[in-house]
Amino acid sequence: MEAAVVDTGSKLLKAGPAIPDQAPSMIIPTQMKRMLEDGSSGDNNNSLAEDVTVDPVVRGFVRDWDAMEDLLNHVLYTGLGWEVGNEGQILFTDPLCTPKTVREQLVQLMFETFNITGFYASEQAVLSLYAVGRISGCTVDIGHGKIGMSVHSLYFNNPVEVVSLCDVTDVSSYIAPVIEGAVQHIASRRFEVGGADLTKLLAQELGKSNPLVNLSISDIEKLKEQYSCCAEDELAYEKTKAIICLTVQVIRIGREKYTVGEALFQPSILGLEAHGIVEQLVRSISTVSSENHRQLLENTVLCGGTTSMTGFEDRFQKESGLCSSAIRPALVKPPEYMPENLALYSAWVGGAILAKVVFPQNQHITKADYDETGPSVVHRKCF
Amino acid sequence: MYGGDEVSAIVIDLGSHTCKAGYAGEDAPKAVFPSVVGSIDQMDVDDSGNAERNSGSGVDSKNNIDSNKGKGKRKLYVGTQSLGYRRDHMEVLSPFKDGIVADWDIVDSIWDHALRECLLVDPKEHPMLLAEPSSNTQQQRERAAELMFEKYKVPALFLAKNAVLTSFALGRATSLVVDCGGGSTTVAPVHDGYVLQKAVVTSPIGGEFLTNCLMKSLEGKGITIRPRYSFKRKENRPGEFQIVDLDFPNTTESYKLFSQRLIASDIKECVSRAPDTPYDESAYSNIPMTPYELPDGQTIEIGADRFKIPDVLFNPSLVQFFRGALILLFLNFYQTIPGMENYVDIASSCRGLPQMVIESINRCDVDIRRELFSSILLAGGTASMQQLKERLEKDLLEESPQAARVKVVASGNATERRFSVWIGGSILASLGSFQQMWFSKSEYEEHGASYIQRKCP
Repeated sequence: MEAAVVDTGSKLLKAGPAIPDQAPSMIIPTQMKRMLEDGSSGDNNNSLAEDVTVDPVVRGFVRDWDAMEDLLNHVLYTGLGWEVGNEGQILFTDPLCTPKTVREQLVQLMFETFNITGFYASEQAVLSLYAVGRISGCTVDIGHGKIGMSVHSLYFNNPVEVVSLCDVTDVSSYIAPVIEGAVQHIASRRFEVGGADLTKLLAQELGKSNPLVNLSISDIEKLKEQYSCCAEDELAYEKTKAIICLTVQVIRIGREKYTVGEALFQPSILGLEAHGIVEQLVRSISTVSSENHRQLLENTVLCGGTTSMTGFEDRFQKESGLCSSAIRPALVKPPEYMPENLALYSAWVGGAILAKVVFPQNQHITKADYDETGPSVVHRKCF
Repeated sequence: MYGGDEVSAIVIDLGSHTCKAGYAGEDAPKAVFPSVVGSIDQMDVDDSGNAERNSGSGVDSKNNIDSNKGKGKRKLYVGTQSLGYRRDHMEVLSPFKDGIVADWDIVDSIWDHALRECLLVDPKEHPMLLAEPSSNTQQQRERAAELMFEKYKVPALFLAKNAVLTSFALGRATSLVVDCGGGSTTVAPVHDGYVLQKAVVTSPIGGEFLTNCLMKSLEGKGITIRPRYSFKRKENRPGEFQIVDLDFPNTTESYKLFSQRLIASDIKECVSRAPDTPYDESAYSNIPMTPYELPDGQTIEIGADRFKIPDVLFNPSLVQFFRGALILLFLNFYQTIPGMENYVDIASSCRGLPQMVIESINRCDVDIRRELFSSILLAGGTASMQQLKERLEKDLLEESPQAARVKVVASGNATERRFSVWIGGSILASLGSFQQMWFSKSEYEEHGASYIQRKCP
């Protein structure tokens, strides 16, 4: 039986059997509605009971374990077709800077409640790199609730290929440099800003320009995904004019559609005192030793839902030409055999690739290991 | 007695230049950031400052420390991300004066940033191991213990001396630890896990001083280092770029220096090498230059300075060539401004590294001197300079007594040398036999902070 790969984002949960060159078989929203007797999961939104939405994953980390358990129940037994009593092996993805206790709780949940046979966990940044066929580089992951930047490298500096990943996922964002499979935590950056904040920004802006129209958050999300794009550069942004767009109610979306993209490059729009994403990338790389700078910056990979915004890549390239560094970041193209829109679930695809390596070679945590050592075995076996 | 659970301890090493924090049991700290903070005095900014403060306290609660923090009414910004962003009137402050902690508010904010924002842990659930300077006073230790127990409510605490931790990291119980850090250089002998206090020798010449020397030397040659915030590239035509200088009149001098130092220390780390023989003007005048590309695209060539700067560690009288650096040194370290003539005298009275080692060993008992000579450990960021180990060994062979067998040990990996104190802490806190040595909260409540002297020797 194939190992299962689960990537829990703050907005979307991606799960499926570990087949690397396909999209994950299940992409469902992580948000759940609480019913009176038991929790129901994202797909079937029967509003029989009151609409209390539960977010088990907040800013990338699991916060509500009961809800998580219900969600995983649905995913594994209904979605992936596992049978109770015959569970298989599972690989999870961790966001950057996951506290040790969260990892241990997850391992405990999986082995004790679900009784799986094998477990492995890996950082999302490394996996996104594997998905584009590199083992070193810089990840910039812009998510729904966080942005993260990380550098992956081996402990000893033998850089063969050095890639940078930019992951803009749904709930949070991070920048992570990676050199040969090991995340350089020292140079990694995590921002508690992501797609969710951009949606709020869009809501605010639309509220100002269309004061009579009432929109729910999920409608605004859809609008954001459909219409938002990045202006070519700062000057172009200043000049954008009003354009009309139609939905059931007539809404004018003009400059707002550019504002969302612009906020990533000028966080002052969101009210934050921080540099734009390219500048952050460059600065975080400068803390790594100089031999690797060129290789890291010239192999930058973008991932996460928010990066699939129209014009984001071009704007990124443009900004990288203007950044305060001698070496310019350059983006890496995903290989042709990978599905379209790899950016949305590159961590999942990387997980599928890793699962094909780790489980057959017995490098994962088995039930016997867990029974012998307890949850802390995850820190020793999975990194 | 704190038994120690499955929950792992946190190790924090607050050095004079960088703060390192992480979980015990790991091989490198997860959180490494400068141990200085940006501070904006709420009192003097009210017109232009208002807009900033209001925008700063909006969505982003991650980077800003609440200004309810002190009586001083100032807003502190900690960590590489917050410091990297230029703000008007932001001063860069260090908690240390003369090598010991002077401002506990700043230390508090640094710990808070490390625990709550970098490691994302709740201090109530993790025992803390703090690394302290080898010549720390009782008062400082009590203060640290108070702060940890009262504010962070840690379940258990231990204070370990830097030299002892380095010793453990390199696997020895008795050794002479030469810690070339950012703010100062300390030579301390460790015997069976205890530091011999009377033989500890310190010198204010550390990595930061060398960076200052380099900056002054570059300025002398007419090269200005443009800090990252002060320029922007503009595209005139596709493919053609031009550097435009941005002017921010309200940037403080300390912030400008801080940003320049970041770049200068990177230059220093890339190009400098300890010379094999004592530096001589004439011998190095024809050295081929090494190029280095600055962030704004300028390429500079560095020749003799590559060897001159590291040689200051061995021969501090070279410092007279870097007059400006001396001024900075005294302002930072001694907080006094002696007359110009005295500068060179005071600096020359600092001994070079080999002399410090010999002096420290001579202050120890005769019996252990042999053992100390044969295990001299190098640690600290500055010690990861190329060829430093070989040069030190050579100088010591010349100066040491004939019978002694001199061996300088340093881990091969530059990262390990930089973090050897932290790594030692990580090893110590994860030992099974250490778990009974923690100073627990109940003991603190029963006996008070002064009990720490007995528990953490």
